[in-house]
Amino acid sequence: MSAHSLFGGSARLASPRGRGLRVTATAVLLLIGIAFVLPLAWLVLASLDDAATLSVRLPRVWTADNFTEILTPEQTFRPLWNSFVISLGTAVLTIVVSLLAAYPLSRYSIRFNKGLMYTVLFGTCLPVTAMMVPVYSLFVSFKLLDSLAGTIVFMASTSLPMAIWMMKNFMDSVPVSLEEASWVDGASSMTALWRVVVPLMRPGIAVVFIFVFTGAWGNFFVPFILLFSSENQPAAVAIYNFFGLNGAIAYGKLAAFSILYSLPAVLLYVITQMRSGNSFAMAGAVKG
Amino acid sequence: MTPTPVLSQITPSRRALLGGAITLAAAGALSACSGPDGSSRNENTLRVVYQKTAAFQQLEHVLTKAKEEYEASQSTVAIELVPIEAEQDSYFTKLALMNGSPDTAPDIIYEDAFQIRTDVAAGYLRPIDEYVATWEEWNMFLDSVKDVGKGDDDKLYGISLGTDTRGIFYNKKLFAQAGLPEQWQPTTWDDILQTARTLKTALPDVIPFNMYASKAFGEGTSMQSFEMLLYGTQDTLYDTDTKKWVTGSQGFKDALTFLKTIYDEGLAPGLDIALDTNIGSRIATELLPQGKVAMCVDGSWLPGGWINGDNAWPQWEESIGYAAMPTQNGKKPGFTSMSGGWTLAMGSQTKNPQAAFDFMAVALNKDNALKYYTENSLIAVRSDIAEMEEYLTCNSSFEFFSSLVQYTHFRPATPDYSRISGSIQIACEDVVSGGASPEEAAATYDKSLVGIVGDDMVQAA
Amino acid sequence: MHQSPACGVPTAGGASRRRHTGRALRRELPLLPAVLMLLAFMAGPIAYAFYGAFTNRTMSGYKAVNPDFIGVDNYVSLFSDPDFYTSVLLTLAFLLGSAIIGQNVLGMLVAVLMRHTPRSVSSAVGACIVGAWVMPEIVAAFACYAFFHTEGTLNTVLDAIGLDGPAWLVTFPMLSVILANIWRGTAFSMMNYNAALAEIPPEIKESAQIDGAGALQSFFRISLPIIRRTIATNLMLTTLQTLGVFTLIFVMTGGGPGTRSSILPVLAYQEAFKFSQIGYGSAIATVTLVIGAVFSLVYTRVLRPEVE
Repeated sequence: MSAHSLFGGSARLASPRGRGLRVTATAVLLLIGIAFVLPLAWLVLASLDDAATLSVRLPRVWTADNFTEILTPEQTFRPLWNSFVISLGTAVLTIVVSLLAAYPLSRYSIRFNKGLMYTVLFGTCLPVTAMMVPVYSLFVSFKLLDSLAGTIVFMASTSLPMAIWMMKNFMDSVPVSLEEASWVDGASSMTALWRVVVPLMRPGIAVVFIFVFTGAWGNFFVPFILLFSSENQPAAVAIYNFFGLNGAIAYGKLAAFSILYSLPAVLLYVITQMRSGNSFAMAGAVKG
Repeated sequence: MTPTPVLSQITPSRRALLGGAITLAAAGALSACSGPDGSSRNENTLRVVYQKTAAFQQLEHVLTKAKEEYEASQSTVAIELVPIEAEQDSYFTKLALMNGSPDTAPDIIYEDAFQIRTDVAAGYLRPIDEYVATWEEWNMFLDSVKDVGKGDDDKLYGISLGTDTRGIFYNKKLFAQAGLPEQWQPTTWDDILQTARTLKTALPDVIPFNMYASKAFGEGTSMQSFEMLLYGTQDTLYDTDTKKWVTGSQGFKDALTFLKTIYDEGLAPGLDIALDTNIGSRIATELLPQGKVAMCVDGSWLPGGWINGDNAWPQWEESIGYAAMPTQNGKKPGFTSMSGGWTLAMGSQTKNPQAAFDFMAVALNKDNALKYYTENSLIAVRSDIAEMEEYLTCNSSFEFFSSLVQYTHFRPATPDYSRISGSIQIACEDVVSGGASPEEAAATYDKSLVGIVGDDMVQAA
Repeated sequence: MHQSPACGVPTAGGASRRRHTGRALRRELPLLPAVLMLLAFMAGPIAYAFYGAFTNRTMSGYKAVNPDFIGVDNYVSLFSDPDFYTSVLLTLAFLLGSAIIGQNVLGMLVAVLMRHTPRSVSSAVGACIVGAWVMPEIVAAFACYAFFHTEGTLNTVLDAIGLDGPAWLVTFPMLSVILANIWRGTAFSMMNYNAALAEIPPEIKESAQIDGAGALQSFFRISLPIIRRTIATNLMLTTLQTLGVFTLIFVMTGGGPGTRSSILPVLAYQEAFKFSQIGYGSAIATVTLVIGAVFSLVYTRVLRPEVE
């Protein structure tokens, strides 16, 4: 899945002692790998099993029926489309707002900005799940319950601290001298942002976009509390309902649905890897 | 992303202002178009919210039929069916979340009778006395259930969709295999325990006896289990004369001890099954039909899921026997049962109450009520149907469960009941999962009871 | 760290203080949307949590419409409720077991092992570990539910080697969710440490080896001190991510049996939405926020140089 370049080590020393170490290390790592792959293997094998159980096993009868049977508009396409709308909306809104915010933070050193950066950093750490009770109350007051737009703005707001932090770091690495050239041409700082800085930051913006998009794609708790009607529910909630409704009987379909729903997140991750060739693109940007 | 020439001439401040203004405008627009598709609170669309699970789809069938009939009868108002796909407990949570905001509150609600007083107190429901006054079929409803839909203010808020009783279902084939009589009627709790122990020894792979005890099963744990036991002791939850809640009763502890016994001795399902959110559906659609559970205390509606539908079990009548739930020591009248029932109620935020009631009247008319009673295996609450041959003969379990009406009890009708029921469920789960002894769990219950209703609303047993 | 010169554009000669302030404000304007959103949807709920915690608001019933202001009553009952202390302890156990120890130690171990294994093995194992991490949380939760279920994979494996596995989710709920969260989150630490270890100049290690230091010695004496900043950062990040875990536990155990796996976010959800006590649930939320804030403050201090 992930590119080979991911976990490449530095130059390894080959010595007799090193070989013993290598064998042990490989054995331990393989054991760890097996422990990690088992739950994933269940998902894949159960989705192809005509009589899936809760335990991993090779299907007696291989079938794609689990997939074909859930591929209905009501069951799969609508929730996936909602997930897409929510994730895209959240990501775009976050990108635009955080780009705007990152500019003054990166370019002008004003005391207010430093305070804001601390606040932002602080905000990245607060557990959003802990806030769902008051968020629900707040949404009642704002009359935003069961509104896709409201959910998008909320999810964008909660991704903002991290996004601003990442954006500012990416922007810091764009030399200010390039903009100065455009200021001489009489362009405004916003023009400089769009014309000079943004194009240079494209890879960084892509990282933030994917980071926010996959975060929103995988979010369950927020839409679970804020969205009710089935025409608004994203896949995360639909899949939970499916589990509640059929969980005791239809493990195969549950696994199939899970795989369909996971694919976009996995694909986006793989694309990032292949583009950057760096295992650390997301995490590294987070660290700053 | 390249700015258009016009935009690029805007000074930075203006541009930034524009950004801010757009965000503000977006926020404003958000409030304006809240609600699903911005179409809620529309007098020409009525939202009907109801429950749907693997084992309970009958209501959806009836509502779908009623929707077609109602929409065919007029052309202005459309019905939007909004199923909440969740077990009972999550259904209440989701419903309460929706009711929390006027914009998402439903127009018509599938409402458990016990929840009516709570929701009336919160202002979520609208009285319908003026509408039933002119509704001829209202006279067909039995007087005993007319009160079920009333709030604290004595106004009518919900109309009964049928009532139920609870008793013991048992698998006659498994009983025969274990050398037990096919006609079986325990007269004390001990009888049940003895039978369960016999089953356990004779059929080690079968779960002898199920009584729900999980928080996840919600109100079902309170009603199908705990109250079926408690109302068979000398004690009660709520003193209807003094209008006070009872603390520290022996019956409360005895009921918990009984649950503890069946779980500790392995007479009940393992905790991994018992505490799973799907336990209700599993019992009804899988464990009982497949002969993996020999006895269970459950509601009269259970055969409804076996008659037809996704989980049909055509041979159920050959296997299933019924017994009344005995009182603790056989105290008179010897047996006990609990009755509840669900209603259709009108949401207080509806913009078109007349249309909402008209739809309710269609859903509850003779045809649809008969369909619902028979498909869902409920006890009829319309006198015109209770006598119908079609109703009486459709299901062999009716006769038995109707006979339990003489022993039946109702839950305390107060707005606090639903929260108190939550405390009962905590006590049950704590006891069966080994988190607390019956005494400790009862003490915790007493404490949270006082916390909910206040010191002056409780009395010692 | 790069920083542009203060107020990069030379100010027009003789600019008045007012104009100066005006320009500063204008420059800050692009911050406005972000500030507004953060105020409304981050600061707003936090303020609401503290407000709600002082009321007896419920989901339904009389107190849904007319909640009373009850002062610190919710906190009084909270601090006298054994379930609350259990929940705080469970939360700490979850943080310590799954984040601080589990993900970090395992992540480090894997990162180190990867440097001593053939690339094909490290890539394959890395992919499995990352696979658990890129999965949406609810899918990861289903996978773990199935894995730890009485009839699940874990017990099948134990059965194969002649052991009779317990009902993990019921008998050892906390252990199950801790292991599940380790499974889910180790990738993050692994990638962090992998990258940090790769940045250690090989000369340093080589010279240590020439001095006769063993592999363990060289790891503890040389590698660890060099990457200590990464470790600090990673510890904080994984702790904070773990404090926000809800879905995993909600699906696997629902916080039960009883409240034996109810960490604070799960407890707040149950009290507020299941047992209808919005006020009480808000009080629990505020406690969680305070715990998060404490960790955040530490983290902010650790990262201070990056803001300056």
